[in-house]
Amino acid sequence: MVEWTKKHILEIKDLTRQEMEVVFNLASSFKEVSQREVKKTPALRGKTVVNLFFENSTRTRTSFELAAKRLSADVLNFSSSTSSISKGESVVDTIKNLESYRPDILIIRIDTGACLKNFLNYTRASIINAGDGKNEHPTQALLDMFTVKEVKGSLDNLNVLIVGDIMHSRVCRSNIFGFQKFSSKVRVCGPPAFIPFEFEKLGVDVFYDLDRAIEDVDVIIMLRIQRERQNLAYFSTLREYVENFSLTPERLKRAKKDCIVMHPGPVNWDVEISSTLKDELHPLILKQVENGLAIRMAVLYLVGAEKREHKTLRR
Amino acid sequence: MKILIKSATIVNSKNTILADILIENGRIAKVERNVKEDADRKIDAKDKFVLPGLIDLHTHLRTPGREDEEDLISGSCAAAKGGFTTILCMPNTNPCIDNEGVVEWIREESQKIGIVDIIPIGAITKERKGKELTEFGALKKAGCLALSDDGSSIDDSYLFRRALEYAKMFNLIIVSHCEDKSLSLQGAMRECFISGKYGMSSIPDIAETIRVFRDIEIAKYVNTKLHLAHISCKKSIELIRKEKEIFSYLTCETSPHYFILTVEDVEKSNFHGNFKVNPPLGERNDVEEIKKALKEGIIDCIATDHAPHSFAEKEAPFENAPFGVIGLELAFSLTYTYLVREKIISLNQLVEKLSYNPANILGLKERGEIKEDAIADLIIVDVNKSWQVISKNLVSKSKNTPFLNSELMGLVELTIHQGKIVYERPFFPSINLSSGE
Ligand SMILES: [Zn+2]
Ligand SMILES: [Zn+2]
Repeated sequence: MVEWTKKHILEIKDLTRQEMEVVFNLASSFKEVSQREVKKTPALRGKTVVNLFFENSTRTRTSFELAAKRLSADVLNFSSSTSSISKGESVVDTIKNLESYRPDILIIRIDTGACLKNFLNYTRASIINAGDGKNEHPTQALLDMFTVKEVKGSLDNLNVLIVGDIMHSRVCRSNIFGFQKFSSKVRVCGPPAFIPFEFEKLGVDVFYDLDRAIEDVDVIIMLRIQRERQNLAYFSTLREYVENFSLTPERLKRAKKDCIVMHPGPVNWDVEISSTLKDELHPLILKQVENGLAIRMAVLYLVGAEKREHKTLRR
Repeated sequence: MKILIKSATIVNSKNTILADILIENGRIAKVERNVKEDADRKIDAKDKFVLPGLIDLHTHLRTPGREDEEDLISGSCAAAKGGFTTILCMPNTNPCIDNEGVVEWIREESQKIGIVDIIPIGAITKERKGKELTEFGALKKAGCLALSDDGSSIDDSYLFRRALEYAKMFNLIIVSHCEDKSLSLQGAMRECFISGKYGMSSIPDIAETIRVFRDIEIAKYVNTKLHLAHISCKKSIELIRKEKEIFSYLTCETSPHYFILTVEDVEKSNFHGNFKVNPPLGERNDVEEIKKALKEGIIDCIATDHAPHSFAEKEAPFENAPFGVIGLELAFSLTYTYLVREKIISLNQLVEKLSYNPANILGLKERGEIKEDAIADLIIVDVNKSWQVISKNLVSKSKNTPFLNSELMGLVELTIHQGKIVYERPFFPSINLSSGE
């Protein structure tokens, strides 16, 4: 039995291995619910969940919205295109003004990093981080890890490789902190400009050569490349980027036989991953979407359902 | 009005003496033992220290333009409360201090207030755009002693050379904000392990050092005075230490936050806007090097870089918050607490960094030292009193300091400016205001 005590889900940095296991177990049971005819459970009935998206992301927002509705919560959506935010109202003002709706959970996506802890001063609600700047994207990492756990059976002692724009990737950071807590080893690979300063101090191995980095890995996470980065000389041409960092069938052969490949999506085929791998990788990417829903139901349930002290789960 | 300060322990940069001080007609009339003369006001300074009024080479008073963040009255009060009697204000106002009209207006208004001497620093280029030189002669005539485009560096090396040459003709000092913007970009904190861990947009220390190097080389070439603002990193100091051996026109300053705080404090604050300054806070070895350089005299001055910002602006996410912290009310106590009490520098050296050297750099011969015939700018401090930094007790209109709620040692009890008591804790007698403590 593990007790859940966290009011917020802000960073994987703050979660313990045990807490992540609680999330995974709960996500498994929610997956069963999704397969039933009546998909709804009343866990969050009467609760107000606000999707507060200062940065657009239809996929993440939809996933959270659906998760909240499956738990019977009332869902409000505020996005950067809706009135108040675009009128230059400050982020803090928006959060303060939302208090009049008495929200129970705020799901926040924002383009500035590491800012959520300071928002806690302005709301009584639980905050779930749906991506803050380049800092973290905890639910994405949880769903990635959950997917790996389903396929591999365990998250222990794996070699995990993350490839691409490490610098600007919140998904990458959350995955590093998560996998490390399960005593898996994380390698990162990309052009040097994409590797943050003194990043080895995080306990990751840094590679610039994908052919070497990929040797013996159990899990590969390919990160999405934003073409604008080329303008800031992070790399020279897309052609050269692809030549050095694209995942091809030949390269994949160097990894462990049962290596799995993930991508936070949407994939730029033939940029991050060669399209010849499409059929092979597609089922797992779909699985990630399904698992995303279950993970988000789990975290909403854990921070939102009444009497947190009763939320104990049998392992 | 005659003021007699009895049993004063007078701390100048070069010596400490026990004497009485007689102040008459805005000047120090006598510094000697057992002054018998009658005075309108007698002050017993037993067990306290009397220091020359502090001089801040670097403040932002937000006036004209952002009087909601600071105005000349609140800025004057904050200065007097912090022991400053002369402050220089930077030209990044709206309108910009780039012509004699704005300089004269600030001079006149601040003299009417009469709490401290406010000397505007004129812009080097029109609207601080780094394109066209301002009229240095007109700015000088209106009262400027120094010029700066603080907030940005002049990227065009040709123009910076010409600015130094032109300043030489008018005997004006160029104060340089050293930042290579092509390296610092939109960074919010020092590039380091912590910035990488949180994916925080960041500024490498070399963005400062590279510009320090260029500016010194041009000043040497032109052979004229150059003052470097807010030095924040070890690499810059190593360079300055070497150059100072061969180039005597070079001076520089740092600010209290750079010898106290590090990137770890930024992380501990959960990336609060009050910890965002430009240049950004450095690492532990930077702090150690700055302390060493202060001790050795490589860093000449401690300036506040007082930069008021509204609460709302500083509550914004770290990456969006503006740069800068307030410092006028804190600089003396921070320097005393973190440098003098820690035995890094002596109280005499504190006076040197916060009064004597700034006066010297500006050529203000009658300030920065308690001596007969000097202007009667002096302060009485009690170094055994501690106080807590509480937002509502700060007289500055803005409260953006990373030191909120900290306990500091050393309190300014009394500030005399041009022979007049302008602050007597907690009152500002000339304007009938209390600091609310
Ligand atoms: Zn500056
Ligand atoms: Zn400044």
